[in-house]
Amino acid sequence: MITAMNKEIIPDNWYNVVPDLPEPLAPPRDSKSDISSINLLNKILPKEVLKQEFTFKRYEKIPDEVMEAYEQIGRPTPLIRAKNLEKKLGYSGKIYYKYEGATATGSHKINTAIPQAYYAMKEGVKGVTTETGAGQWGSATALAASLYGLPSQIFMVKISFEQKPLRKTVMNLYNGNVVASPSTLTAYGRKILKEHPDTPGTLGIGISEAVEYALDNDYRYMVASVMNVSLTHQSVIGQETKKQLELIGEHADVLIGCVGGGSNFGGFTFPFIPDGDDTEIIATTANEVPKFSKGDYKYDLMDSAGILPQVRMYSLGADFVPPTIYAGGLRYHGASPSLSLLINKGRIKSDEVTEEEVKEALRTFANTQGIIAAPESGHAIASAIKYVKAHINEKKTIVVNVSGHGYLDLSIFGEKK
Amino acid sequence: MKNLIPYFTLGYPDNETLSHFLDLIPVDKINYIEFGFPSNDPRYDGPVIRKTHNVGNINFSDDFYKKYFDYFHKNHVKMYSLSYYSDIKARFDDFIDYLQKRNFSGIIIPDLIIDYYSEGKEIINKLNDRGFEYIPFFSPSTPDSIIKNVSSMTKSWIYYGLQPSTGIDIPYELDYTTERINELLPGREITYGFGIKTDDDIRNLMKNGGSGVAIGTYLIKMTEAGDENGFIDYINKMRGVLDE
Ligand SMILES: Cc1ncc(COP(=O)(O)O)c(C=O)c1O
Repeated sequence: MITAMNKEIIPDNWYNVVPDLPEPLAPPRDSKSDISSINLLNKILPKEVLKQEFTFKRYEKIPDEVMEAYEQIGRPTPLIRAKNLEKKLGYSGKIYYKYEGATATGSHKINTAIPQAYYAMKEGVKGVTTETGAGQWGSATALAASLYGLPSQIFMVKISFEQKPLRKTVMNLYNGNVVASPSTLTAYGRKILKEHPDTPGTLGIGISEAVEYALDNDYRYMVASVMNVSLTHQSVIGQETKKQLELIGEHADVLIGCVGGGSNFGGFTFPFIPDGDDTEIIATTANEVPKFSKGDYKYDLMDSAGILPQVRMYSLGADFVPPTIYAGGLRYHGASPSLSLLINKGRIKSDEVTEEEVKEALRTFANTQGIIAAPESGHAIASAIKYVKAHINEKKTIVVNVSGHGYLDLSIFGEKK
Repeated sequence: MKNLIPYFTLGYPDNETLSHFLDLIPVDKINYIEFGFPSNDPRYDGPVIRKTHNVGNINFSDDFYKKYFDYFHKNHVKMYSLSYYSDIKARFDDFIDYLQKRNFSGIIIPDLIIDYYSEGKEIINKLNDRGFEYIPFFSPSTPDSIIKNVSSMTKSWIYYGLQPSTGIDIPYELDYTTERINELLPGREITYGFGIKTDDDIRNLMKNGGSGVAIGTYLIKMTEAGDENGFIDYINKMRGVLDE
């Protein structure tokens, strides 16, 4: 059941959770003693993006041009009741999913790529650059840049670059330039290649390369996740969900999403934070990247080269090289400061799921609902299935964010079980 | 009189130079002064002021500055200490005793509600009981509810840092900033700090109901450069702008 699909569902404003947090967010800190990495952001980010990063404004008006672009790439996305899944699990409650896979690039990433590329274009910069893990963010960046006539340079984590050649084709179709990271395009990439020629790459290395590339070429860096501004832009997901639930007279008892850097999760759940505590919120990570259970809540680097400021977050350490898991988008060592604070204060709970649970959940979801979800999103689905099994006789309404589709990740099902 | 609050880190660039600049201050042009007690970890300061703490830590001596504390006190300039809780928590009561003995009026603690939120209430109550002003320090990332709660526990003026840390320059909407804080704290004295340099900065803040400004990085750079005339002119000029 597609509950609502009209323009009025898209919110007029982005929502920023910072003024509604239960405690002050620790400010970013310089990573080096002699220079200000915070001031450096002036050279890396479009001015408007930087302003939104540090704003305490609860609502920021979505520019008309961005609104138009949101409609063009398929917003609002559907909120669908997963009746077949409910039946299969024998659940007495209801399960809904918000489907970000229905956007043009196939994931939520386009929600923040569009405004960032738009502001970059308005400021007349030469081009944009970024890192990408599984390729979803790179695809969104390439398309958004192309829509605004900007070239894009994308650093794709080497292991994903090798495992997902079709992603490169997609980014090239969107006019993006893609290299495997670490690359020879930057000093930092060359250094890593010399010291660790066999490294699979990490998002931290990719960020470092993109930031260096932006500084050297008068490009602007596109923020995939972690930083507040990307979560703010993603709030279209949660605000649409709220409105869609309202239209069908439902109340969300439980919200579940997956966490890489926290952008789809924050965007999906934070708009519910001001409503009080009666919605349970669960953030799911990969078992292999257990940032909330094994990471420390501390100041840490966002990028491994330490060009960007440090932020206080749950982190496994910027040097953490995660196993080369099937869900590239979840390999990041930390999580957004606002999300980390809400987890630390107990407002948001965390969960971890294993690769086996995720594959099983993706299969179940495919053969009940027909949706082939991204491996990252599979974590949210697996977590929801766990939740349902643990509360099988309760009549709760669970809403899961399915952050993307998995058509370019099918190789994880290579061998039939 | 609107507040003009010069900020200095004690012991920077060195004791002699700083004392020389303190002598130059026209005391009738300022009503408050803020002294940074050198911190081992000035975590929420930008590079310029961070450096002043590192140097100040080596140079600071109470013997040296005692006469200046007396001097400002006699001239009716209220003194406020800027101290990080991480530095003073182990000897908190002794440190407040010391500040009171030196005739300080109050204290600004930038890391208290960020890093020690759970202890904040008790510390503020303790300072209230001792009749020592706790100056709430807020920044753009302080949530609305915290601004209201912490302010309601105190009666003094508020220190609002316009930037996420000292000496940095992130674009922001000035009108929106002042509107928000005025709405959250109607009628309260708000003094703005961080990144204020020009007379236009000050004019805009005052036009929007500000009760004063604190100036740090900019003055510190003048003491570093030994720019005595620039220093006096600047203070006189800013006083003029505040009095407009
Ligand atoms: C489909 C999908 N979901 C989730 C994520 C995780 O990122 P975030 O936590 O920022 O949403 C990614 C990242 O690449 C992704 O591609």
